Amino acid sequence: MKKALIFLIIAFLFIPLAVTDARGNEVAQLQQEMAALRSQFSEMKMSYETRITQLETKIEDLQKIYSIRAEKPQIAPPVQPQSTSLGRYFQSFNPDVSVIGDFTYHTTDKKNEEFRNQFQMRQTELAFSASVDPYARGDFFFHVEQENGSWHIGLCEGYLTLLTLPIEGLQAKAGKFKVEFGKANKYHLHNLPWVDYPNMITNYFGEEGMSEPGVSASYLIPNPWNKYIELTGQVVNNSNGASFAGSDSKDLVYLGHLKTFFDLNEESTVELGSSLAAGSNNGGHGRFGKNMTTLEGVDLTYKWRPLQTGLYKSLALQNELLFSQKDRAYFDDGTDIIDGKRLNSWAAYSSLEYQFAKRWTAFGRYDFSEFPDYTKNRENAYSLGLTFAQSEYCLWRLQFKRTNRNFDKDENVVWLQCDFGLGPHRKHEY
Amino acid sequence: MRKMCIFLIMLLVLSSYAYGKDVINVLTTTEDLKSITEAIGGDKVRVDSLARGLQDPHFVDAKPSFMMKAKNADLFIRIGLELEIGYEDLIIDGSRNQKIRIGNPGHLDASEGVYLLEVPTTTKVDRSMGDVHPMGNPHYWLDPENVKIVARNITNRLSELSPEDTGYFQENLKTFDKKMDEKMIEWNKKMAPFKGEKIAIYHRSWPYFVDRFGLAIACELEPKPGIPPSPGHLKETIDIMKRDNIKIILMEVFYDEKPAQFVANQTGAKVVVVPNSVGGTKEAKDYFSLIDTIVDRITEGF
Repeated sequence: MKKALIFLIIAFLFIPLAVTDARGNEVAQLQQEMAALRSQFSEMKMSYETRITQLETKIEDLQKIYSIRAEKPQIAPPVQPQSTSLGRYFQSFNPDVSVIGDFTYHTTDKKNEEFRNQFQMRQTELAFSASVDPYARGDFFFHVEQENGSWHIGLCEGYLTLLTLPIEGLQAKAGKFKVEFGKANKYHLHNLPWVDYPNMITNYFGEEGMSEPGVSASYLIPNPWNKYIELTGQVVNNSNGASFAGSDSKDLVYLGHLKTFFDLNEESTVELGSSLAAGSNNGGHGRFGKNMTTLEGVDLTYKWRPLQTGLYKSLALQNELLFSQKDRAYFDDGTDIIDGKRLNSWAAYSSLEYQFAKRWTAFGRYDFSEFPDYTKNRENAYSLGLTFAQSEYCLWRLQFKRTNRNFDKDENVVWLQCDFGLGPHRKHEY
Repeated sequence: MRKMCIFLIMLLVLSSYAYGKDVINVLTTTEDLKSITEAIGGDKVRVDSLARGLQDPHFVDAKPSFMMKAKNADLFIRIGLELEIGYEDLIIDGSRNQKIRIGNPGHLDASEGVYLLEVPTTTKVDRSMGDVHPMGNPHYWLDPENVKIVARNITNRLSELSPEDTGYFQENLKTFDKKMDEKMIEWNKKMAPFKGEKIAIYHRSWPYFVDRFGLAIACELEPKPGIPPSPGHLKETIDIMKRDNIKIILMEVFYDEKPAQFVANQTGAKVVVVPNSVGGTKEAKDYFSLIDTIVDRITEGF
């Protein structure tokens, strides 16, 4: 009994201790769980805080964007392209009309020169260009010039270009146009890089080059290198009097031109062309048989314009060479005409232009030329000049030219030229 | 002779297949349009550009080699608003490619529907105003929000030309727009501290950019668009810059820095030369890095 009592007392003494131990374990466990929960909570809190901050930043950014949008009254409301362009399209039913004036003062030591020491409105060009229909465009260039004291208007060029022919790469032209022979013949007076045409052009094609009524077809020859190779064939009236028959002719002149063009790099290009023209000439008409003129030409042009500083610097080196074989009739003893004499002659020029500032270009040109009818007569000419481009549409030019002739007195000429244009004149070819 | 003929015929045949038919050949006038088209078109397009980012996009020579590029194009994309007036017609006419003539699906004016600034409100526009563009300032690509419209225009046109790839183009457009939205947040954040700041510019290439990012133009070094700075005008510019405490002269990579440096020396401002087109500097590899470059250089300049 006593033992049982002692056991019970001991049991009573130890039970609270055991209970205390168990509770202590539980508390510790609970504390651990609490700590884990706290850490989870703080992690979640941090994560939510970060996300809230990010969202706040985004909202702030968006608010800034919208506030910027809201605060820009100067932005025009969205303009419907149709409405913007509509006026333009209506306007475009009229052709683009341009007027270009070529005004000069020139002085020369050749005393019988018509405009010696005179101002001269050398030429006014009226240009009209537009699409004719979905298949073709039309271009007209009229020249107003003073001749023997009175003003005359003439058609320099007026042609239709067929743009949509069934053969890919083929294009055709019909009307009056400057023929495809070399480079300089195609220039109009106002877009020459010099004041005057090279002697080769004036001596072999006339004062402003060869421009005749006819038809033309040109074809871009496909090639694996994807290079520009253009072959042009033209048939025009034989009304050029310098090398061919002249205005009384009833036959035709045939021309061919092959042009290749390639980029040496993105800043430099080379163009190489060869030309051929054949037709009967003065001596071949009427009772004297059919004499022929054949002209061959080669042109080589190098151009450089740096990409980044191209507004301020550029260079062009242009060269042309022409050979002429002209059968002609000539007077023997002043009474009779004998056919069959062939006159071989040639001409060439080389021109260098260097643009050294945005508005300034210096140039020099050397001309050598014989004459289609007088091969013993020769001209050597040296030109130097300076062009100031007031803007894209107005330029001033000063040029000095000395011409040495073996059949006449040498000549010194100084020109001051001003070219100015109104209207959207279509840019000229490269 | 026979061998020669066979060789020539083979050359012609090969050359006609030189350009693959499986992709759309796109010719753009600027490298910005090229970058956007590449982003939308992915591997379904082959894109080339006429002008380089280093060049003044107003003055590009109509080289015959460009006509050959245009000849092979299925799609011609231009900035429009007469930016390309000096060369576009010559190149398209010279290419003899009917697909890319205006009015055909192969000709896209990227400016369709963009937000325009400086649309003349006078009854007459003439050259006494300098090189003004009668349909509005054409430098709209310097507003990223406008470029989203351009990207949509390009997506629609590519889808029209290749309907089977519409889904692909649309997906690329989504990616492009998403990236643009994200970049807009980044660019706005960088530019926010300078909101309302006035700057001087060389040419009016910048109104769209300035407008989008909350800057203001105080003066230009060109007296009129396209007219080179004159001494008299530079004096007026210096006065304005001193008065308004202008810190930055923003200019394009292709203009002469001398007048800007002269003005900077007189006023204590900094000349910040930035590309205004993709390819204008090495860093500006695509449209996003173009705006990155402009934003970074401006923020460094202040």
